[in-house]
Parts: sequence; structure tokens; C-alpha cells
Amino acid sequence: MGLEAIFEPNSVCVIGASRERGKVGNVILQNIASNFSGRIFLIHPIAQEIEGLRCYKSVDELPEPPDIAVISLPPEKSVDYLESLGKKGCKVSIPVSGGFGESGSRGKELEISIKKIAEKYGMRVIGPNTVGVIIPRSGLNTALTEAEKSTFPSEGALSFISQSGALGLLSMDAASDWGLGFSSFVSLGNEADVSENDVLELVGRDKETKSIALYLEKINNVENFLSICKRISKEKGIVLLKGGLGESGNRATSLHTGSLFRTNFSLRGIFAQHGIIQALDETQLLDYGMALSYGRPIFGKRIAVVTSAGGVGVVSSDLLEMKGFTLPKPSGAIEKEIRKIISPLGSPFNPFDMTAEATDDQYEGLIKVLEKSGEYDAVLVFALFQTAGVSRKMIDILSKFNRESSLPIVVGIIGGEKSKEILRKVIKNEVPAYPSIDRATNGLWVLGERGKYLGGISNEHSP
Amino acid sequence: MNIVPEFEFKSQLAKMGYTLPNGMIIKNGRDYSGRYPVVAKVNSDKITHKTEAGAIIVDIKGQEELISSISLLNQKFPGEEIYVEEMARRGIEVIIGLLKDEKFGKLILLGLGGFYSELLRDVTFKKLPITRNDAEAMIGELRYSRIFNGYRNLTTNKKMIADLLVRLSDDFNNKEFQQIDFNPIFLYADSYLIVDAKMIV
Repeated sequence: MGLEAIFEPNSVCVIGASRERGKVGNVILQNIASNFSGRIFLIHPIAQEIEGLRCYKSVDELPEPPDIAVISLPPEKSVDYLESLGKKGCKVSIPVSGGFGESGSRGKELEISIKKIAEKYGMRVIGPNTVGVIIPRSGLNTALTEAEKSTFPSEGALSFISQSGALGLLSMDAASDWGLGFSSFVSLGNEADVSENDVLELVGRDKETKSIALYLEKINNVENFLSICKRISKEKGIVLLKGGLGESGNRATSLHTGSLFRTNFSLRGIFAQHGIIQALDETQLLDYGMALSYGRPIFGKRIAVVTSAGGVGVVSSDLLEMKGFTLPKPSGAIEKEIRKIISPLGSPFNPFDMTAEATDDQYEGLIKVLEKSGEYDAVLVFALFQTAGVSRKMIDILSKFNRESSLPIVVGIIGGEKSKEILRKVIKNEVPAYPSIDRATNGLWVLGERGKYLGGISNEHSP
Repeated sequence: MNIVPEFEFKSQLAKMGYTLPNGMIIKNGRDYSGRYPVVAKVNSDKITHKTEAGAIIVDIKGQEELISSISLLNQKFPGEEIYVEEMARRGIEVIIGLLKDEKFGKLILLGLGGFYSELLRDVTFKKLPITRNDAEAMIGELRYSRIFNGYRNLTTNKKMIADLLVRLSDDFNNKEFQQIDFNPIFLYADSYLIVDAKMIV
């Protein structure tokens, strides 16, 4: 249970902090100092103070047991400090440096000692060989990326757990840039103590986390992993990018069934059975994660596409149909209502094309009619800001609709820097929104998969 | 790791209530009293892939042809039993399989193509035991699941496939096996036939 301390720690202890700008030990300290508002303790055998913060000579001298300790020292020294941190009563330690199990048998032995220390003192250890954790809600950032070179993520509802620290940080940096918020990021490292299953359980309990994105290369206990996911996915959407799909257990003689299990994508159905949606790259991973965090599950196949650009509607229809959706025409009564709202040049069928004469009010009127009609299971709105009638007012219209309507909505905003700026604002307002037709229709697909899964498990529970 | 001979495994399946082609072990072509055309195969615990080993002769149309086919198999595989079975009317071909994986545990496979399953690789897996909902999801997860709506003059129904998957899951979840291939299974409008079945325990 001690792992919970990473979400809102009162104090963080940094061991191995450096005065020298640019060194890992300095960057980590700067990252912690710049956003974290709790108490920061430094341990340094010689220095009196670093970056204006007082240094203690040893862990024993600390005035209180720290909730979190970040250790940036060589392997052997890290393990020595873990022992004294455990003794002091630290809740979670994060040894960041490499040179452990990944580099040979001595390193593996050190990892075994880490596990022993963790068990002896009831302290949890994340890593080693990790970039640690980033917790936007408390400003905790133990990563080694330089602040001015990447975007610190804002608070959100997506927890991101990664077995690759670098892939995790890179994709989170990209997603943070377009406004996606995170409830936590945990880099698992070598998992000497804390495993992916431990962190899954942790974010499963976390109230701020609505959905979970995982990058995993090696699932250590598959059966446990699947049953934890099955339990958590009743409440929270899970998306997984599984690196190394070729991997599977060894079998001597193989029938067809066995050799087919070795082929790519054979895990997709098993993941789906446990409420896990599989992504195929880092962009999909966080795109899907955003849909699950901000969007509502879609229970059905009928999609209404709203656009001011004919071609966008046509390509969306094609992609949606390929993903198993339908775009039914509205009933006569609804068509009549829509005609009253949109330009006479527009199309009152589906896709609903309001043409370049579209205005904010037309968008708002149209999606409200679609919502009331009961004829659609979700709406895909392309808010295209290049024409005269569409303004920033759309940001509020879309945000309000996503907050208040029971009709699931996904938004596409296509264009250059000006459109991107609006896309960021829409995403900041917790609307699932994407910069391309393909990514927007994928967002719908994910919410459709989520709906199918939730519909399926509710059937199982009713007699 | 042992191969259960085809005739034994198929007899077990028939006893469990699954539909399989009629067949019998015979010493001589004259002993066979069923319909033609038939298939003659070696009933061995050593051969996993009979076609590749030349241990199977198909489309035998009458008694004379059967007698010569059996003596050919006897020469090639001395000491092995010969198993003769009615040839099945063609249906929509699928493979269903069961697998015990070291990491994932017991799994069930549904795939298209039967004979071509390894070429098409249009397959999906679930962990045992499966629910009815899982079975229906499996059918939907195949890329070419449209075939279950009927293709050319072949028809089948999805409810029956889901029933079969759930039933296999229920029957085999507590049994010991390494791998099982039901391949091919022919699907018809209201019935199915497990044409070939192999088990490794």
C-alpha cells in the first residue's frame, strides 16, 4: 500500500544531487524543485547546500522519514542508501541509474538485494534503471529530461505505465504538447521490486485515474496481469502497446493452433476479452488513452458526421465504414429540422455537410438536434476554423456538449498552427479531439470497443 | 508429450456428443460396409501431419480402390492400423484449436480456412473458459467474418458456431492437453462436422 505515497507525497529526498548544471543529478533536482511544493531534502556527504537547498550528511540526519527518495548514484552505492532509507522509514525509493540486471550477473545480484531490502522494511522500490515517476497533481517529476526541452504534462485522467522510460517520456512529451493531461506516469525500469501489476493495482485504486495506457515488452505474470485488467476495466478503460508481439511460451511439438499463436496480433482477442484495447504505436497508445479518459463509451454503430468540408465527410464515412460503423440517413422529421438550421446549399443527410457557410450556431443547433433525435449512437464533429463563420466560441460549444450530453462526441480539428492552438484548448477542456480524420475515426473506434466490452460484461452479469 | 491416435480421439469426441464423420478401423477393404467416397488414413501416434507424410489417401470411390489403397498404406507404414472414414460434404471451413501456453494458460482459437489457416492467419484467441459473449466476439474479430453470412452456395449460422465454441470451452477447460486441432471443421446451415481432430497431451 506504500506505493500510494507517489501521488501526493509530503516530502522528497534526493540523493546524488549535483551542483553541476547539465548533470543528471542536477537535472533531476531542478525538475523536482521547480514543480514540487512539498519538503525537499538533499543528502550530500560534503556540500552544505545545492541550488539553495540545505544538504544533510546522511539519511540518519534527516528530520523525518521521507515519503519518496530519488537516488541518482552508481549501483552499489544506490543499494547502500536503500538500506538506510528502509531503516529510516521511507515509503517509496526510486534508484534511477542503470548498471543493474541489464548489465550482467553482479547487477542481477544487486537487484535481488534490492528486493530483500524492500521486503525487510516494507519500503517499495521503483526501478532501478528507471526515469521514475511524473505526477502532475503534486508536481513531482523525477525524470532526467531537461525542463526547457520538454513539456511538463498538465493534470488529467490518464495514467501511463511504461517499461521503456524513454519511449514513455517521448510520447508523453508529444501528447502534453497538444494538451493531453495525465494523472500519473510511472517508468517501471528493471522491476526489482515494483512490477507492472503492482502499478496497475495502484492506478486502478486511484480516483484521479479514469483510464490507463500501458507500454509493456515483457509481462511478468500474464495470468495475474489479465485478471487484474479484467477487474479494473469494469471501471477504467485500458489501452496497451505491447512491444515484441512475436514473444510467446515455448512448445516443442506444434500443431496448427500452436504455430498460429506465434503470429502477430494473436493476442488481440485475449486482450479484448480482459477489457484491454491494443494499440500499435505510441501515437495510438495516447490517442486511445485520450478517448478513454475524456470520451463516453459508444453503445452501437450509428455515427453522425458533422462537417463544413464535403471531402472530410466523405473520407470519414469511408474510414468509419471500414471500422464497422454505419452512417444512417436521418428520418424525415429530423431531416426537416436540420434543413431549418443549415445553409440551403448544405447536405441534411449523413455526413451532415454545412458547407463553408457554417457558423458556430449552426454547429450547436445541429448537434443538439442529433442528440435529441435518438437516431445516432455517437457524433463525429469536424470543427474547421479556417472559414469565417466558425470562431473560438466553438471551444465552449464542444466542451459543454461533451460535458453535458449523453451522446458521445469525438472532435476533429484539422489545420496548421492556428487550428492546433484551438485543438489544444479543446483537449484541455477534456474533449477527445484529434488533428486528422484517421485519428478522429480511431478515437470513435476505441469508444465503440469500450462500449462493446461494457455491454458484453453487463450481459454476463444479468441472468 | 504424446499424440493421441486420431481414431481414439475421434471416438472420445463422438461419445461426448460432437458430430464427426462415420468411420472404422479395418484390416481389409472388404470389411468396410459404409458409404463411398471414403478417406483411408494411418491411425498412428507418431505422425502429426498426415498429408505431408503421405499417410492419407482421399476420395476413394469404391471397394476395389479401397483394397488397393489399404495395401499401399500397409506397405508404407507396416504395423500401423488403418482407419477408413466417409468423406464429408464441403462446408465453410474453419479451424478451432485449444492450446496450453506456458504464460497465457489455456486458450481457444477460432480461425478461417481450415487447410489454408496458416496461409490466411485470420485467427483470434481467447483465454479459457469463455462466455457466450466471448464466443460471439471471436466470430466478429475475424477479418473475413463476413463468410459466416454465407458465401456462394455455402451457408452457416453464427449461433451454432458460438454454441460449439462455448461447449468446447466447457468440456476441455478442466482436461489435460497440450494442443488440440479441430481442423478442418465444416460448417453447414444447421450443423457442423469435425472432419479432422488431433490431440497432443
